[in-house]
Order: sequence, then C-alpha cells, then structure tokens
Amino acid sequence: MRFFILKILAFTVLAFAPLSASNHVESENLSTHKEENYHSQSLTHMVKGFIASTGIVAILSPDPDELSSTGKPMSDFHKSWGRVLMILIVFLLFYLGIKKGFEPLLLLPIGFGGLLANIPVADIAGPHGFLGVIYSMGLANEMFPIIIFMGVGAMTDFGPLLSNPKTALLGGAAQFGIFGSLIGAVALSQYTDLFSFTLQQSSAISIIGGADGPTSIFIASALAPELLGAIAVASYSYMAMVPIIQPPIMKALTTEAERKIKMTTLRHVSKLEKLIFPLMVLVLAILILPDSTPLIGAFMFGNFLKESGVVDRLSDTMQNALINITTIFLGLGVGSKLAADQFLVADTLGILVLGIVAFSAGTAAGVLMAKLMNMFPGTKVNPLIGSAGVSAVPMAARVSNKVGMEYDRTNMLLMHAMGPNVAGVIGSAVAAGVLLSIFK
Amino acid sequence: METNLVVEGFKFMALGMGTVFAFLVLMIFAMNIMSKVVHKFFPEPVATPSAPAQSGNSKAKVVAAITAAIKFHRESK
Repeated sequence: MRFFILKILAFTVLAFAPLSASNHVESENLSTHKEENYHSQSLTHMVKGFIASTGIVAILSPDPDELSSTGKPMSDFHKSWGRVLMILIVFLLFYLGIKKGFEPLLLLPIGFGGLLANIPVADIAGPHGFLGVIYSMGLANEMFPIIIFMGVGAMTDFGPLLSNPKTALLGGAAQFGIFGSLIGAVALSQYTDLFSFTLQQSSAISIIGGADGPTSIFIASALAPELLGAIAVASYSYMAMVPIIQPPIMKALTTEAERKIKMTTLRHVSKLEKLIFPLMVLVLAILILPDSTPLIGAFMFGNFLKESGVVDRLSDTMQNALINITTIFLGLGVGSKLAADQFLVADTLGILVLGIVAFSAGTAAGVLMAKLMNMFPGTKVNPLIGSAGVSAVPMAARVSNKVGMEYDRTNMLLMHAMGPNVAGVIGSAVAAGVLLSIFK
Repeated sequence: METNLVVEGFKFMALGMGTVFAFLVLMIFAMNIMSKVVHKFFPEPVATPSAPAQSGNSKAKVVAAITAAIKFHRESK
C-alpha cells in the first residue's frame, strides 16, 4: 500500500517535472528575447542606422512602407517633396498671420500644427503623436468648436439685435451663401470630372459661406473629416480677408444714396430682455430644430452666464482663459490635418474656390435683402449693414461701418451692423442644424 | 437610376433657407412680444438719486469704525 502511494507521488512528480521545466525554459526565452533588443554593434553600423533615420534621408528617399497618419499608403510625392511644399505653405500662413494680421490667433496655431504634422519619421499627427491625441480628444468628437461657441456666446451682446429685431432677416439672407455654394459644389461634381464631392462633403464645404469658423469645423468633423484641414484653413483665411472681399461687392450692389441712409438711433434694451433672450432662442431651437441645439445651446449658455451678471468669474473664464486654451488645441488639431497627403490634393483647390464663392454670395444676398426690406414701408435700413449678416463677428460689422463712413463721415453704422452680425451666427447655426438633420 | 446631385442640392437649399428664415421670423416675433411684456410688467427702475446718500452713510460707518479702532488701540496700551 505504501509502495503504491509512493508510486503515485513519484508519478505526479514525474508528470509535473517537465511542465515546470518548460515553464522555466519559457521564462528564460523571454529574458533572452529582451536582451536581444540590443546587441553589440560596430560603430559604422550605428552611424549608418542613424543616418537612415534622419529627416534628410526620409525626404530624399522615402520609406516605401511608411503609412499616413490615417493608416493609408501614401504616394512618394506626399512623403517627400510634398512635405517640404506644405512646410513652405505653413510659412506663408505665418507670414499672413504675423505681417498681415490675418486672424493670427488661429492661423499661427494651425500653421504650427501643420508644420509639426509634416515632419517625417516622428509621426506627430499619427494616433500616438501628440497632435493626433489632441485631434481625437476634441476635434473628432466636435468638442472644441462647442467650447469656442460658449466663449463667443459670453462675448456677444445681443442688445443691438434686440433693439432692432427686423435686422435679423439680414442674418438669414446671408446664409444663402451656404446653400448657393452647396449647389455649386454638387454641380461641379455632377457635370465635370474635376471633382467628385459627395453630398456630405459638399455640405461641409458650403458651410464656409456661414463665415463662422467653429461652425465650419463642427460640420466638417461631423460630415467630412477628411476635408477638415482645407475647410478650416479656407474658412479662417476668408474670415480674415473680409475687409478685402466684402467692400467691392457691397459697393457694386448699392447706389450712393442708399449708402448714405442714416438709421434711427437704437433704443435702450433692458437687462431683463437681454437675460430672457438666450433662453427664448434656445427654446425656439428646441421646438423647431433640436439638431442645432449643440451649437445654439453652447452659445446661449455662454451668453446667459454673461447676462445673468452674478457669475462674472465663470463668464470671464469663458471669454478669456477657456477660449484661449481651446483655441490653442483647436488650432493644433486642425493643423494636424494639414499633412501633405491630406492637403495637397485637387479637392483642396476646389474647396478654396467654392469657399470664396460661398462668402461672396452670402455678402451679396445680405445686401440685396436689405434693399428688398427698404421696398416695404417702415424705417429704412442702410443696405451696407446687410453684408454683416455673414457671421464673422465683429469683423463684418466693422467693414459695414468703414464703408459707410467713406460716404458720410457722420454715419455710424457699427452698432446697427452688430444686429445682423449676431443674427448671422444664429442663422448659420440653424443652417448647420438643418444639414446635420438631413444626414442623420 | 443615379440620384441627380444638383436636384438634391436645390432641395437642401429650399429646406435650409426655409428653416433659417422661419426660425429668424419666429425669433423676431418672439423678441417683439418679449420686449413688450418686459416693458409693460417689468419697467426698468429709473435711476434714483439715493446712491450718493448711501455712499455717504457707508463713509460715516467707516469713519466710526476707524475711530473706534484707534480708541481701542490707545486704551489697550
């Protein structure tokens, strides 16, 4: 009996021995594998390896296996000289931002993001690079544009609109730029072989006509993320060029007598009206177009905090610290889409052209709407404020004021133009909501 | 049959511009009603000249407090 037990014991020991032995071998294998990561190299070998990893080599003889930050194969041009070309384009953005003062707050972060995204080897815009992380943190999920909208809401004064509500119609008319260029984009894809934009892509491009950077980015990342870089760059560049683009259109569509129309002084708006207004617009948005409430809700949240007058700390943070931090991240995230393989494509050219068409059409529609309103009885509207209906707050309103002053030094249109200007923000948010609701 | 994109584009435009204008017209009506209601029921109080009196009052309080503090300080020496 005892012998039997011993036998079993011996058997179990024998049976387990090889198992533990193999365990041991495995762990040994692992440790040798770790050691194999580095083995002694000759100095010439090391130098050769180092040279192969430099930027010069990466540009001159691109790695055939390198994938783009989205994990797709790239052409040799996009891996080598395309990157150099993009870096030169980025320098142009720096020049425009610093020397010409074109929206430097956005063009500089976007430009620098673009510079970083075009560095070979480092893969900064890839899923594990810091630009890629910023992109997925707040742009892929449309977070940053919403936060920017809160800040813009906290900076907006709806007083001029409240004291002359009918000027909101001008902000509506200017949204024609969005839908006009949408038709332009689909017509180009339908009848020519140059471009083949889908309806989603066309919608994302045409929202440039809303002249509202955050809205453009919001829609582009929802409908056509592959075009985000070009759309954002076009949108902000054209917003910066409002003082150049708009005046010729405004002058071409108005007579001198119309440009000299003086508008009645704005009535005083009480604090309570300003406090109720954001809630009222939000309720309207909830009832009519819930798809627009992410944008309008954030906007009105910022405005409500400002007008409440009891949370100055919060509204101050939104207007300054929060919007500044988000602008840095938004700019870098958009810049990550300026990688050569995504930006140096024929579509970008189409986006730039359609963008300026959208912008001009919006300006023209706003001016024409003001002329139409003057045909009805009631107080007259100076058609120059119609162009401020494209959002671009407050630049477009300043342009209206400046053109008005050219013809009559005493004609101050700035506050009158702020009405259509802020209505334009609401209008483009509504237009964005309509486009989102169509593609749901 | 392939969808005609341009026809779709015009549909988008009709719906989009229609919604934008409908929204803004409603907003204009709501603004007009709202400002009428606010002006009728909650007129802004006219600025009263009581402000300087108040500040004078608080000044007197500050002076009183300082005097008391000085007195306390001297007595405690």
